[in-house]
Amino acid sequence: MSTPRDVEITVGYPALPGLEDRLEKRTVKPAEGDAAPWDATTKFTTIGTDVDRVDGLQKASGRAKYTYDITFPGMLQAMILRAPIAKGKLKGLELDEASRMPGIGAVVALKDLGAKVRFVGDAIAAVAGTTLNHVRDAIEKIRAEYDLEEHNVDYVVATDAPLLSATGQIEEPWAEAAELEAALKEAKVTHEATYRTEVQTHSSLETHGGVARWNGNDLEIWLSTQATFGCRGELAQACKAKGIDVGTVTLHAEFVGGGFGSKFSAGIEGLAVCLLAHAAKVPVKLMLDRFEEHTTTGNRPGCLMQARAGVDADGRIVAWDWRSFGHAGFTGSGGVSVPNYYTADAKKRTAHKDLNIDADPPRPMRAPGHPQGWFGAELFLDELATKAGIDPLQFRLKNDREAIRLDQWRFGAAKFGWDAARARKNEAGARFLTGSGLASARWGNLGGAGRGTPHGITCRIHQDGTVETRSGAQDIGVGTKTMMAIVTAEELGIPVARITAMTGHTTDPSGPASGGSTLTPSIASAVRHAAFLAKQTLVEIVAKHIGVPLSEVHCAGGKVGSGTAQLRWADACKLIGPNPIDERGKRHPNYAEKPFHASQCGAQFAEVKVDTWTGLVEVTRMFGIQDCGLVLAKKQAESQVLGAMIQGVSYALHEQRIMDKRSGRMLNGDFLRYKITGVRDLPRLECHMHSIANGHDSVGAAGLGEPPSVATAAAIGNAVFHAIGVPVRHLPITPDKVLAALASKKG
Amino acid sequence: MKPFTYVVPKSLAEASEAGKQPNTVLKGAGVDLIDRMKERLQTPERIVNLLPLKDELAGVAVEASGELKIGATTTIAQLEQHEALANPALAGLQAAAALTASPQIRNRATVAGNILQFTRCWYVRSEAFHCLHGGRGPTCLAMTGENRYHAVLGWMDCVRVHPSNLAPPLLALDAEYSTRLGDKVRRRKFTDLFPAEPRAQTAEHTLEAGEIVTAIHVPKPAAGTRTAYCESREKLTFDWATTACAVKVVLAGGKIAAASVVLGAVAPVPLPRPKAAALLLGEAPSATLFQKVAEAAYAGASPLAHNDYKLVVGKAIVREALEQATR
Repeated sequence: MSTPRDVEITVGYPALPGLEDRLEKRTVKPAEGDAAPWDATTKFTTIGTDVDRVDGLQKASGRAKYTYDITFPGMLQAMILRAPIAKGKLKGLELDEASRMPGIGAVVALKDLGAKVRFVGDAIAAVAGTTLNHVRDAIEKIRAEYDLEEHNVDYVVATDAPLLSATGQIEEPWAEAAELEAALKEAKVTHEATYRTEVQTHSSLETHGGVARWNGNDLEIWLSTQATFGCRGELAQACKAKGIDVGTVTLHAEFVGGGFGSKFSAGIEGLAVCLLAHAAKVPVKLMLDRFEEHTTTGNRPGCLMQARAGVDADGRIVAWDWRSFGHAGFTGSGGVSVPNYYTADAKKRTAHKDLNIDADPPRPMRAPGHPQGWFGAELFLDELATKAGIDPLQFRLKNDREAIRLDQWRFGAAKFGWDAARARKNEAGARFLTGSGLASARWGNLGGAGRGTPHGITCRIHQDGTVETRSGAQDIGVGTKTMMAIVTAEELGIPVARITAMTGHTTDPSGPASGGSTLTPSIASAVRHAAFLAKQTLVEIVAKHIGVPLSEVHCAGGKVGSGTAQLRWADACKLIGPNPIDERGKRHPNYAEKPFHASQCGAQFAEVKVDTWTGLVEVTRMFGIQDCGLVLAKKQAESQVLGAMIQGVSYALHEQRIMDKRSGRMLNGDFLRYKITGVRDLPRLECHMHSIANGHDSVGAAGLGEPPSVATAAAIGNAVFHAIGVPVRHLPITPDKVLAALASKKG
Repeated sequence: MKPFTYVVPKSLAEASEAGKQPNTVLKGAGVDLIDRMKERLQTPERIVNLLPLKDELAGVAVEASGELKIGATTTIAQLEQHEALANPALAGLQAAAALTASPQIRNRATVAGNILQFTRCWYVRSEAFHCLHGGRGPTCLAMTGENRYHAVLGWMDCVRVHPSNLAPPLLALDAEYSTRLGDKVRRRKFTDLFPAEPRAQTAEHTLEAGEIVTAIHVPKPAAGTRTAYCESREKLTFDWATTACAVKVVLAGGKIAAASVVLGAVAPVPLPRPKAAALLLGEAPSATLFQKVAEAAYAGASPLAHNDYKLVVGKAIVREALEQATR
């Protein structure tokens, strides 16, 4: 074991093309027993290279078993009876007839008599039976009666919503702020406008749900979740609260078909399947249908946002006033975030208020609060820059205070051909108008060691030369298994093909939820630590075998040994014997020293073509640059960025929940009318992964789930503004809104 | 899905007889039917599968007369890819086929199924809503509810729109359709397939119980005929048209000698606009003329609270179709 020691490392990044190096020396103190940190000078063999997704073939061939695919002999299917009303009380609930229906194994109430019904889709009762058809027949026999109350599902007319003008501008006076108002008065150019976004649902391909099986008091559950350990605890407590004597709970989520923030909780469906399986005494499966998925598992809330700001003669922002009104459900927050790095020297203020409606509450969704806030703020900035006669890129370069992003703006603009794109003029009277826009991205997370038990990883080296790396945390489809295999391969000096990565079983060491872009930064150095410990054990075995002092034996490049006494990896592993090397690595806390960069930066550029006849916006090309600390799995990282851009195109142009106000029910709760961008709607997408040595732990990974999803809709909104000369301030930018904007220009 | 009896007929006569039984559905590909059955929006006791009757119902052929015969259960992909459609006179029909849904659906769904399909109105297609067209309520809910995708023309007491994108070009081409009802074989004008007065309580089409569309006939186009079909959408991949237009023009000596204009997705039926088409006759193609025709095509429109954008978009699509057909 090594003792704590000072290690000098190089942090930062070598020059992006055409720009300068940003490399710095730093001294850090790794924890006792931890691997020495990788830094900007490390020569990697596997990390940062293109490695195919390790479970790609399993997924493409159908061998990967998702919760939806789990089945057992004698297993029952289940469904939930949902409230058809948006607000009221449950007055009566008659379950007997349903439980006497043929094929029915269990019926449970999920809401007490007299309890409030909060939205259309609130869970009332659940039924398990031999087939979904039997269950549906029984559900139709449940008699639920309600006391109805008046509801509202439109946040814009909520009683505490701000007054809007006929054109949708917030008319409510701003609260007094003397200094800010003085700064606005002094500003050379000022601007004020209102922005709006609509509800986006998570639309995970695999819906929420689970398969539960009780063995006496022990519960085993397969759950589509992004928080294996969180849901294990939640279900144990929830079952106890229902009077079940719970022994152990084992949770499996080896493959998860997306979550985007909607699957942190096991939810009412998770509890229902446990209760049904307990009552029926056989395994039960309950997966939500698409309508339930759209209407009961959260969403990215919509919001109203308003900004007023001013710039001085140099184009610097001197005053910035911002307020937002977030669209909560019957509970929850519709919080909105805005960039703060443009307004460092401005007199500024931000305020937020949540507006409740009688609908499904929001849940975190990929960079909660950010895509909506960035859309409003970045479009506002372009409008302000245009008024002030400054190019949007120059405006960002003048005002952005994050040095890394300044490099990214310059690099990205050159790569995208910004100046040429902006200089290109549309022909007068042309039907199709082209325009370009840009927007920034930001997120901040370097992961952590975990509360209580530190995040752990098991690394096993077997005598046949294969290696396992195992985490009880989940891979929700982003490539966590691949990342674990890559880090392990790098540490051991062997090919990825020798490594099997496993995730999602709570019998393996604990790990974090997939949220806030924390998973990779929180477990990558634990993966490395486990491999590092396993390697040490192998080195000890080899040292003994070849009779060389331990300190002289090295494991690298597929060989283990000293000098000329080298064993090939496979031969070295033969010395292990039938019991594998089995080491448990842990996530040490981040170094106490300041990292090079504590957050993530990004910038995106978009080009659109607007059909002025039909109002249809087509995004023709996009370029994104994104940092995420050390880029571990390059292909999967690029997929994250490109995937976020795809989701962003969809958010910018298509996605919106449409509610029937009279019934409070979603009208487009399917995949036909809830429009998600498709292949023919997508631009040519390119991205550049900007790898940075942060020096915050032995690996230096930062999160990547959220940051690339922040900028896309904003960049597209700005490109539309550039193309047609008037802003469309309300997402999604559908043809009707584009036509209205064009008409306002003429009028 | 509720249990049902699955009938595999050996002949058209048998299929038609079976189709006359109460609560029986004649099934083509079943693309939409299966979805609605899963949701219990439709719960037939008997389903008669027409797909096995390939000899009688499937395939595209050019008859000796030059007439194009399209079998009812020909898939949309087969229609799109048939060599006979590589003809400027049938370009509109080919474009409509190519634009339909997704490749998977085009490979499965049938031509007649597309033409006879049930409206996509989100009220009538939800078990939670009880409206007049669904036979479960007193009024049309979309008329006063959320109606951004609903009708702007030709509606009476129900503002649904007809979703077929093959119907407008077939109407523009003066197509006819043949049916079989028991032993009876009939051939009629395509306009007869859709109700003249599309009320809430009338079906999307005029077929009787057990009546099977067997084929669609497109007469041999006159020399100089060109057609086009365009639709507006909110996205390009697998979306329903917000407005659509099929046009036919016959050009002779630089002037338009014959024309038809048919609108889709804006009324409860695919809607021929003969007055608009008449403006084209004897004229040379021009942007000004097309603008006039587009205005006339939407003359008398009554948009609802959330769909007046359809008038602007719809007129643009008429112009685009005319431009394409005369290019």
